[in-house]
Amino acid sequence: MLDIFQYDFMINAFLAGIIIAVLASVSGSFIVLRRYAMLTETLAHVALVGVAIGIVTEQNPIWVAVLISVISAWLIEYLRSYLGLYSDSILALFLSGSLALAVVIVSVAGSFNSSLFSYLFGSILSVSEEDLIVMLSFGSLAMAVLVGFFKEFYFIAFDEEVAQVSGLKVKLLNFMLVTIIAVIIALSIRVVGTLLIGALMVIPTISALRYRLGFSKTILLSLLFSISAVLIGMVLSYNFSLPSGATIVLVILGIFIISMVINRK
Amino acid sequence: MKFDTAVFEAKSLSYRVNGNDIIKDISFVIKKGEYAAVIGPNGGGKTTLIRLLLGLEKKSSGDISLFGQKQKHFKSWNKIGYVPQRVSQIDRFFPATVEEVVKMGRTAKRGLFTRESQEDIDAVGNAMLKMDVTSLKHKLIGELSGGQRQRVMIARALASEPEVLILDEPNTGVDMVSQNRFYTLLRELNKEDGITIIFITHDVGVIANDIGTMLCINQTLLACHNPHEVLSCDEMSKLYGIDAHLVHHHHH
Repeated sequence: MLDIFQYDFMINAFLAGIIIAVLASVSGSFIVLRRYAMLTETLAHVALVGVAIGIVTEQNPIWVAVLISVISAWLIEYLRSYLGLYSDSILALFLSGSLALAVVIVSVAGSFNSSLFSYLFGSILSVSEEDLIVMLSFGSLAMAVLVGFFKEFYFIAFDEEVAQVSGLKVKLLNFMLVTIIAVIIALSIRVVGTLLIGALMVIPTISALRYRLGFSKTILLSLLFSISAVLIGMVLSYNFSLPSGATIVLVILGIFIISMVINRK
Repeated sequence: MKFDTAVFEAKSLSYRVNGNDIIKDISFVIKKGEYAAVIGPNGGGKTTLIRLLLGLEKKSSGDISLFGQKQKHFKSWNKIGYVPQRVSQIDRFFPATVEEVVKMGRTAKRGLFTRESQEDIDAVGNAMLKMDVTSLKHKLIGELSGGQRQRVMIARALASEPEVLILDEPNTGVDMVSQNRFYTLLRELNKEDGITIIFITHDVGVIANDIGTMLCINQTLLACHNPHEVLSCDEMSKLYGIDAHLVHHHHH
């Protein structure tokens, strides 16, 4: 089974997978606790517009996806917090709107091909050195923000208004959180694909929540679930020639079901 | 205890939504060290008034000052501890131990990337001790009773070592025994620690003997007095079923 590591691309893939597993589960926990899980799905579809533009203009789709997702995340947050539109409606609008846009861009350019399919559902074999460098640089930036503002994000997730009264810059922090969520989603498209990243952000946390622990322990458990799912998923995907993203998501779903059964009461 | 500095000052404060007055032309001063209650009927604007003071709602007109500074220039928000009304509505599954919740009170005081200082640890420990929740510190907040949760929320506010404590209907969903214990605690915080206390309540009977200032709010300020004057009001008996009379100021 260890022959999996004799290829450079598999080492790239595993490194990429672990980066995404860590980032997705930690950032996802704040989003889940704020009942904002659908943001991940929406930004994933938005990232697809970036991928489409990237393919058409022959730029690295990850770069373009990061850019487009961040801009859209700001727009969503602006509409939500300043114009007071219902947040679920804004998400629905962006989700279907961006999917439509991505499809039109790709078909106009006549590049509806297997490469797009790999961005939708992930393809571990396609993680290049350049992708890894992009993921490492943006990923460490995102992680630094998550660690630096960990207690602030947690306070806001628990009680946004009291956090604001205590002197936290809640609106700025909310913008920062959605920004790194957008970055993480765009980075993950090689590994799990845009259509499946939502699962990796949400399911490890909701599985960990079943164990009724405090926050630090919940985060650690969710991290453990997420990394295990990515590693197991990749090994299965390699050995049985399955699509990596879907396999990872099925493994994490399995972890969720086991967590439900263990903690039924 | 100093009574000279104004902690909150409102001048001709008004708040309108779609042309309807929620708060109309209210002026008052609450000074350092006071023990004040905001009372009034449901929908009378008590919570809105507090939210205006805290900057959670934007006033339509008038002036608000905190610690002698105009609200928009005020930066020392960590001087204010706020305990909102939603104690009984905490998500049962929210992953937070009592200790983690109380530590949130230190969040705004600590810098980025800093480890907890001894000062932080002491402040959290003292706040839990004061509110008698130390033995619960590893329990999840969702597993506690209403009275226990309320003490945890106050402990969180105290952990920031505030000069003012603002509580919105702190006794919603709390039994009588806990209530009495709670008022004793509030009085101690005011008398022994010199913390200015402002709280919203409809629970006039219990508190009347302790309060220094009572703001009676129904859209506008009906009275701002010591409680025995306010309680001798006619309308009060209609509003609260207390044997009393009211000095009534008409408004439109």
